[in-house]
Amino acid sequence: MRSLDRLTLAHLWLSFAAFAIACVFGLWQMLARSPWPAPFFTPSNYFLSVTAHGSIMAYVLPTFFIMGFGYFTAERALDRRLPLRRLAWAGFGIGIFGVAMAVATILSGRASVLYTFYPPLTGSVWFYIGLVLVVAASWIWCAIMIVAMRDWKRANPGAPVPLAMFATVANAIMWLWTTAGVGTELVFQIIPAALGWTDSVDVGLSRTLFSWTLHAIVYFWLFPAYIAFYTMAPKAAGGRLYSDTMGRVSFVLFLLYSLPVGMHHLFMDPEHSTGFKFLQMTLTVLVTVPTLFTIFTISASMEIAGRLRGGKGLFGWIGALPWERPMVLATGLAFFMLWFGGGGGLINMSYGMNAMVHNTSWVTAHFHLIFGGTVVIMYFAIAYEIWPHVAGSPANSPARQRLQLWLWAIGMMVMTIPWHWLGLLGQWRRVAQFDYTNPLIAQWGPWVLVSVFGGALLLASALLFVWNLAQAHRRPASAVDAFSFARALHEHDRAPRVLNGFGVWNVLVAVLMLAAYGFPIAQFLIDDRPAALVHRTSGRAP
Amino acid sequence: MSPEDSDRLWIRSSIGVVVGVLAFGILSGFVIMPVVQGAQAGIDPWTAICRALGISPGSPAAQQPRSAASGVPVSNVIWSPQVLNTLSSAPADAGRELAVGVCAACHGELGVSTDPAQFPNMAGQSSAAIYKQLHDYKSGARINDTMQSVVQDLTDTQMAEAAAYFARRARPPWDVTWVRTAGPEADRLARTGDSARGLPACESCHSPAAAGPVETPVLFAQTPQYLSVQMRAFKSGQRRSDLFGRMRDVAGKLSEREIDMLAQYYSEMR
Ligand code: HEC
Ligand code: HEC
Ligand code: HEM
Ligand SMILES: [Cu+2]
Repeated sequence: MRSLDRLTLAHLWLSFAAFAIACVFGLWQMLARSPWPAPFFTPSNYFLSVTAHGSIMAYVLPTFFIMGFGYFTAERALDRRLPLRRLAWAGFGIGIFGVAMAVATILSGRASVLYTFYPPLTGSVWFYIGLVLVVAASWIWCAIMIVAMRDWKRANPGAPVPLAMFATVANAIMWLWTTAGVGTELVFQIIPAALGWTDSVDVGLSRTLFSWTLHAIVYFWLFPAYIAFYTMAPKAAGGRLYSDTMGRVSFVLFLLYSLPVGMHHLFMDPEHSTGFKFLQMTLTVLVTVPTLFTIFTISASMEIAGRLRGGKGLFGWIGALPWERPMVLATGLAFFMLWFGGGGGLINMSYGMNAMVHNTSWVTAHFHLIFGGTVVIMYFAIAYEIWPHVAGSPANSPARQRLQLWLWAIGMMVMTIPWHWLGLLGQWRRVAQFDYTNPLIAQWGPWVLVSVFGGALLLASALLFVWNLAQAHRRPASAVDAFSFARALHEHDRAPRVLNGFGVWNVLVAVLMLAAYGFPIAQFLIDDRPAALVHRTSGRAP
Repeated sequence: MSPEDSDRLWIRSSIGVVVGVLAFGILSGFVIMPVVQGAQAGIDPWTAICRALGISPGSPAAQQPRSAASGVPVSNVIWSPQVLNTLSSAPADAGRELAVGVCAACHGELGVSTDPAQFPNMAGQSSAAIYKQLHDYKSGARINDTMQSVVQDLTDTQMAEAAAYFARRARPPWDVTWVRTAGPEADRLARTGDSARGLPACESCHSPAAAGPVETPVLFAQTPQYLSVQMRAFKSGQRRSDLFGRMRDVAGKLSEREIDMLAQYYSEMR
């Protein structure tokens, strides 16, 4: 059994090293916004920092994690060698080059435009080109995932694609659709503006194209967590997956309903009519369906495991679960945070209530809880779970792993609960400093300080995580059992054809996208709309 | 049921559900809701549907009160693409004749002024900032007898070319015998501001890498006299062509001492 997987290892280390650095920026930002003084504070440093933190957390951490985990899954779930391994390494090279280019540009202070880079504000072109390279690298990954599944299907006609791989390919296909929006925006609007080829830019169009990406990218990040829920957690708990079909349906629904819904990020924008906003809101509601499916299926799988281990009564199985196993613990903590985060999400997606929380700290708190909390804690658990097979020997002791996971979950709750509340009190997001001598703002002080404390716990946890993983490299390689994903309670020798491929779903995505985004994008080309002057932060004329 | 039948059923029902939901969303968003809500606002169904589609204007549904107020712009400079284009890429010596023939007497042939305490240096200033001021002198938004008469007969293109010409000259160098005297207080105001007074950092607009409005001048290589006179002019409202009163607002919050300090600080910038 080959136990060192350099390709996955390289991707995961890039992802986690960047993550740990970004956490330092995060804590500093918290401090800057608090009544306490922050070293090196200036407003321009603040926006530089938020750009670095946001871009790393949103583009570097998840993308490279997903790529690394995808390569791992393709080999282990399909039980074959990864096709096009050279190309995969080339993709990694392009990606790391892009990251270096983007980060260096941010740190030079020439791209403090935040990770959403809404025009007409435009930073140095190297920042955008760096990001385009990261996206290009991820496209290579998508292609390899699709090829790997196709090859396997040819070799195993009629057999159901293993769920972990089916989900990974669903994510790859979704990501190709997803990046079309931001890719178009970058290539046709932002990069020409940053290069000085154009002097004006249609911000309505660029916000619309970004919204195309903005919701689906969140599901791209979320996929590995769901893959772990379905294909790793039940096994770690000592049970089986309750329903494989339910998993397939959920992943397909994510593919379908992550895309035609991005306009819910533009509820307060004037460039779209209420009809299209309503349509996309309706479609957004459907995203709750696969989430509820998942909660149900995973709870049922866990119940099977708990009862197999002798748990009795209505809730007795919960106590009987092997909580000492990091994967099980992380799943529990992730579900706990999902409960709060999901509640917040329902508020955000409601047209009316959205107006109340729009652009306040509520929003930042929400996505830290759901993305930084539920999703990232599963990244940790996945890393621990696969580490023996990737790095050649296990990460630090399970006790240290559990400590790290607990610190993360507690830190996240301590940081985000007051942060949500601050949003309701009216604290703005993306603002560098507050005047705590103003009595209205002074009352925020204590809440912010609690958040700072939560942030410190998170940073401690992040550093412990990296340390835990690094420990594996200090030990000699140890023999490990072959890796396998969870098996389903009822294993079928075939799956319905629609749930074993993506042909029909791609057509349906196209139909939905046409209905949801066709006219809203076409209107910018039909009408002659006022464009905004490009506003370059990388130096004014000349 | 044979596998083929079951496959067919799966496909049919998948498509059916997806299309059904889409139809429901379309029907309620574009027909039912607008027609029902439009009726309450006294709008006929057809108009309501067109509004929901976004092909005719008119959201929100209720009439908005009209305001009788009319604004008089302080500055009517227009940043058209043509102007911006000239500012950034006018031919190398398009503005030279005007600059050398007219402006040089005061601002120097290479934009290094003959008496910088009175006549600001132009070399290396942002072209957009120069153009904006020339335009304001011409329209009377910024008042100064000398400059107003100088620009009276210039066209937009001439002004933009002169701006581009000066912007491309090298800034006056730092003389090694000078000593920097501005202290940390000025530095803090310039780079951090003072949030207790709602005073933004000067650098949040004036640094060349910042996101300030296009016309923001680069503050460097001027004499403390010139800078402090301008800040006082903003503070008193005598200079008032800055859009949205941005600089008047900032200067109004500065004390006399801070104005002198900052003038000194920026005069030492290269
Ligand atoms: C007779 C002397 C004189 C001539 C000739 C002259 N200027 Fe000026 N210029 C001044 C003075 C004095 C001021 C300061 C006016 C004030 O305080 O508003 C000034 C101010 C300016 C400013 C505003 C600078 C700032 O930092 O706000 C610009 C731009 C400018 N001049 C450009 C020109 C150009 C271009 C020409 C030639 C077309 C020109 N000037 C010709 C005397 C002159
Ligand atoms: C919100 C952005 C902003 C901030 C903050 C700001 N400025 Fe300005 N400043 C401007 C703009 C824009 C102009 C040009 C105004 C006009 O159109 O006449 C200007 C003009 C000036 C001028 C006149 C320069 C000349 O060549 O005529 C001085 C001096 C100045 N600012 C100093 C400062 C100082 C000192 C601070 C910090 C205390 C500061 N500014 C903060 C935007 C800003
Ligand atoms: C040590 C832990 C962390 C702390 C203390 C922290 C803190 C912060 C702060 C204070 C901001 C700026 C908010 C604003 O200006 O409105 C921010 C922004 C952001 N954070 Fe974090 N964060 C942490 C971890 C994470 C994680 C794990 C993720 C996701 C994986 C994440 C994703 C983001 C993103 C995408 C932004 C940009 C938001 C924007 O541009 O509005 N953060 N964070
Ligand atoms: Cu969304």
